[in-house]
Amino acid sequence: MPPASISEAEIRDWCVACLQRMIDFPAAPVAPDATFAEMGLDSATSVYFVVELEDWLGRELAPEIVGDYPTISRLARHLAGGAEDDGAG
Amino acid sequence: MPDRRAYVFLADRGGEEAAISFGELDRRARALAVRIAAQAPRGERALLLFPSGIEFVVALFGCLYAGIIAVPLMLPRRHGARDASAAILTDCTPRLALSTAALIAGARGDLTGRFPADRLAWLATDGDEPVDRVARGLPADPAAEDIAILQYTSGSTSAPKGVVVSHASLLANLAMIQAAFGTTRTSTLATWLPHYHDMGLILHLLHSFYAGAPQVLMSPVAFLQRPLNWLRAIGEYRADFSGAPNFAYDLCVSRYRPEQMEGVDLSAWRVAVNGAEPVRAGTIDRFAETFARHGFARRAVTPAYGMAEAGVLIAARTRADGPVYRRLSRDELQRNRVAPPQGDADARLAVGCGAQLIGERIAIVERETRRRLGPDEIGEIWVAGPNIAGGYWSNPQAGADAFAATIAGEEEPAWLRTGDLGFVDGAGELFVTGRIKDVIIIRGTNHYPQDIEHTVETAHPALAQHGAAAFATVDPDGDERLVVVQEIERSYRHRLDSDELTRRVREAVVAEHDIAPFAVTLLRPGALPKTTSGKVQRALSRQLWLDGGLDLL
Repeated sequence: MPPASISEAEIRDWCVACLQRMIDFPAAPVAPDATFAEMGLDSATSVYFVVELEDWLGRELAPEIVGDYPTISRLARHLAGGAEDDGAG
Repeated sequence: MPDRRAYVFLADRGGEEAAISFGELDRRARALAVRIAAQAPRGERALLLFPSGIEFVVALFGCLYAGIIAVPLMLPRRHGARDASAAILTDCTPRLALSTAALIAGARGDLTGRFPADRLAWLATDGDEPVDRVARGLPADPAAEDIAILQYTSGSTSAPKGVVVSHASLLANLAMIQAAFGTTRTSTLATWLPHYHDMGLILHLLHSFYAGAPQVLMSPVAFLQRPLNWLRAIGEYRADFSGAPNFAYDLCVSRYRPEQMEGVDLSAWRVAVNGAEPVRAGTIDRFAETFARHGFARRAVTPAYGMAEAGVLIAARTRADGPVYRRLSRDELQRNRVAPPQGDADARLAVGCGAQLIGERIAIVERETRRRLGPDEIGEIWVAGPNIAGGYWSNPQAGADAFAATIAGEEEPAWLRTGDLGFVDGAGELFVTGRIKDVIIIRGTNHYPQDIEHTVETAHPALAQHGAAAFATVDPDGDERLVVVQEIERSYRHRLDSDELTRRVREAVVAEHDIAPFAVTLLRPGALPKTTSGKVQRALSRQLWLDGGLDLL
């Protein structure tokens, strides 16, 4: 369980590691500034990714958050800002 | 009886969000039907655009009471690009679109903008209509041959095919389903399947209604987020019937955590249907083993086979004996022959999907000669019965090809050609072994190669028009995965960034089809196998890709 305030860099690194585990096709191009679609995250996988992220962060996130913040970098920046997220971009 | 719960909808984060009794459902549906009938005469079509939940069921019965043909659709994905919406609009020319007030007002992006049509009137079903007034002025009850529903689960996004489901064919399949599974008023059903998918709509939603039984509903997103919540709901409500495609059972195993299953008892789950995509023995075995400790009985496993063109259900293991396997030669199956394996490396377990349902007939037919084949001979699966749909809404040619086939030497009846390959054994058990039709099935949903090829070709100017092939391959776990191969445009071959191109292709396919290609393979100009008339040879492309015989970039 991470500490109450997590840095943007820690969130970014965690997301990269998580997606590298989840995206199971050869030569999966996980990178902080690639869009989730470019990395091959379909909605079923993105739903799973958001659940894992919620569990790690310890707070609820809307499943559509990866649509509103479509790269790891942007998502990490948004979440590190500590915003209460209800899915509204 | 009127106060008994018909449907309960569980919130994504748990707990009951909404419930409706049979009596309330009837009252609300009749009140809605009066509003619908005021806007459209019988026989017109209405699109139903709803999230999972009870509102959809009210809308469906409202349409049926009003004599309006219901067209359940998936909500367009918020960030999705092109989809079938415009083509379906043109195909069935609906007069109405039913949805919730929030969605019509734009709560989830521009829903109404996805369906541009002058004649289309939007109707919010969850407005403040008083429901305690007796609805007057409803049209007379439908005739058996009246169309109840159009199912758009077949056909490509550019050429969608609306399966015509009459009241008679729907009732016929529901009667077969109830007889097959022994569902009664004291049963409880559960599902997370989408209501626009035939397995969700008919095998679950209407099945419980037909039997007078309650059903617990969850959204597909809730299932994908936490698959074990499906099993927890089955345990909590003591559901005895719930089904899903094969991938769902695998997902429960891969996300299994003992602490999330604490106190969950699956022993009431008598019928665990597995259908909508090929059923795998490995999946069944792993699921049964993992969840035995939570009361799941292997004999509940119910492999099944069906399609929208047949109502939904064609065959299912109904004897509660559990699954039956045939150990066959993989090599011989490639040649469409049934034979014992030559050693373990050659073995493949085919899963039996039950016998024909009562009132229906299944035949295995050789495609070229239309000759009826015998036991253990592989051919195309044909089906006849009162459950077979009436055709496709505005595609009479495709309808005639699929629905009116005759077996050589036999005058009647008209048979449905499923496009699937299989055999029936000496005891009448159906085994599905392959597919003739060009469809890729991922997580129980049909995808059409030509749609994906169009997306791939147009993803970047460096990609050649008519230079794409999309096909499925089976990964080491036995799952169907999408592969796309694409030729480079000749003029770009010296100034390419192949990583960038691969990213663009992957992004376009995810955005437009919501599938992640397992492999994106770029080819030299002209390397894609085509016929002399320029048609892409998908099967050959697939074989060459598997064998490493394609001329790669």
